[in-house]
Amino acid sequence: MAATRRLQKELTQMRQNGIKSFRDIQVDESNMLLWQGLIVPDSPPYNRGAFKIEIVFPAEYPFKPPRITFKTKIYHPNIDEKGQVCLPIISAENWKPATRTDQVINALVALVNDPEPEHPLRGDLAEEYTKDRKKFLKSAEEYTKKHGEKRPADP
Amino acid sequence: MGTLQVMVRFNSNHSFIVRVNTSWTIARFKQEVGRVQGVPSDQIHILFAGRDLPDSLRIQDCGLGQQTVVHAISGLPQLSVDARSHATAPRSLSDVDLNLQPAGAGAAAGFLPSYFVYCKQPCKAVKPGKLRVRCGTCRQTTLTLNRDPACWEDVLVPRRIQGRCLSSGCAGTVAEFYFKCADHPTSEDDTSVALPLVRTNTQHVDCLACTYVRTPVMVFECADSHVMCLDCFARYCVTKLNDRQFIQHPTLGYTLPCPGGCDNSLIKEVHHFRMLGEEQYDRYQRFGAEECVLQMGGVLCPGRGCGVGILPDGTTNMVECVRQAGSGCGFVFCKVCKEAYHTGPCGETAPQPSAPANNYRVDIQRARRARWERRTAATIARTTKACPGCKVRTEKNDGCMHMTCPRCRFQWCWLCEEEWGIDCRERHWFGERG
Repeated sequence: MAATRRLQKELTQMRQNGIKSFRDIQVDESNMLLWQGLIVPDSPPYNRGAFKIEIVFPAEYPFKPPRITFKTKIYHPNIDEKGQVCLPIISAENWKPATRTDQVINALVALVNDPEPEHPLRGDLAEEYTKDRKKFLKSAEEYTKKHGEKRPADP
Repeated sequence: MGTLQVMVRFNSNHSFIVRVNTSWTIARFKQEVGRVQGVPSDQIHILFAGRDLPDSLRIQDCGLGQQTVVHAISGLPQLSVDARSHATAPRSLSDVDLNLQPAGAGAAAGFLPSYFVYCKQPCKAVKPGKLRVRCGTCRQTTLTLNRDPACWEDVLVPRRIQGRCLSSGCAGTVAEFYFKCADHPTSEDDTSVALPLVRTNTQHVDCLACTYVRTPVMVFECADSHVMCLDCFARYCVTKLNDRQFIQHPTLGYTLPCPGGCDNSLIKEVHHFRMLGEEQYDRYQRFGAEECVLQMGGVLCPGRGCGVGILPDGTTNMVECVRQAGSGCGFVFCKVCKEAYHTGPCGETAPQPSAPANNYRVDIQRARRARWERRTAATIARTTKACPGCKVRTEKNDGCMHMTCPRCRFQWCWLCEEEWGIDCRERHWFGERG
């Protein structure tokens, strides 16, 4: 399958190059269309933990974009309670077959580190983020400590 | 050295086969033709692919294949020097490269196919092509070219290159180019359509989608000349076809842009879509025809298995799918809701007369079909919603509530069934009303 061939190549390259903020990439060789990994943000308040995500590639990849879901709960204006995230680079309108998964991951890490309250999925958190940053940071840090995954040791 | 059977057409009149040795010169070939026809060999001209072949050229170097047709003309007035092939010209038309290559790239490409065709029969595939030329007037291959074509426009745009037709009595001067499949012996009328975007991958460029270096490839006409392998191109097209995301262009037809989404990159030669294979190409043609009907303000008959395009007159909502010439199903329907024609507003079921009041017989088959249709309609009503922009029934199988209609591009909210707004984004992007 052509999607598998490309994903195999992308995975090899990503493992070789290594992305600081995306670790523990786990892919079952029998199903290249499902990836799991750990987002390790470096900005507060999310730098107190790590977040498991799942990337699901469609059979039509790379002609259709992958979808990303957070498996770890996160207190973030752009990620909802179900772990769904709206990332412009992988929306149907913007998707380009030449876009690589490492570019998608980098866009995701940037969004986690630097929330965009203008395009929220959770209006309540966006409002708190804009109006009372101090309270937001405190809540988000507590939430991260409580629900976040253990951060891997630096390589 | 091998032998070839070459079909010689003598004075554009009768034909005969000459068995030639590929190491022969054209002079030796002329002796053979002269012997068969009883004509002195120095009065014979051998014309092939737009050239009067020079005596010293060897058969193996002039691009002849099994069953190739050449013209032999005798008793011609002496040709002027510049109408004859000269030393710097490519040895045969097959060697002419129409693709502008960056400096230094040409050397390695010398023996690689420089153009490709879609061979409908028997190959049913993209194959290396042979460029041929004939006289635009008498349509015989007896035309000698004033100059070789240098680019695709020279070949594809009519009347760009002049020549001289050597058929007796023909004063033709316009060259008409055409292509043949180079993968199998071809008869004279066995022509194939050229695919100008398919190229040998002399630059070793990665495919935009699978990232592997393959050949041949599609090279798109965008500013970046993006490259995609043929397998990925077919998958790109089928993915777009499944979502009906081809673009209906007024002059180019039903087509696609460069998969990189570049500006001004629509594929101009829609025969490239032939390489999708017969089944998908049939779908492509059907979807294209339907899109064309819709753009002209027409409707598609909603009759089951029908789908005939109809251009209704503007005065009434009643449309009949007229049975004529083997198409049309006779269904009479409402232009607005596409249900069976009704008086009064759409969506209201007509009052049902009770059974005893019906004194006509109901065809059992017909009744069963109607019941099936009703269940289909119920399923469609349950699983789909109409785009608020164009009313096309839309199924949501995945993703968020933010819908973009593939047909009319209207952005709408699956929950509100209205235009997508800030409220939708903040309160129920993924479904839960806050």
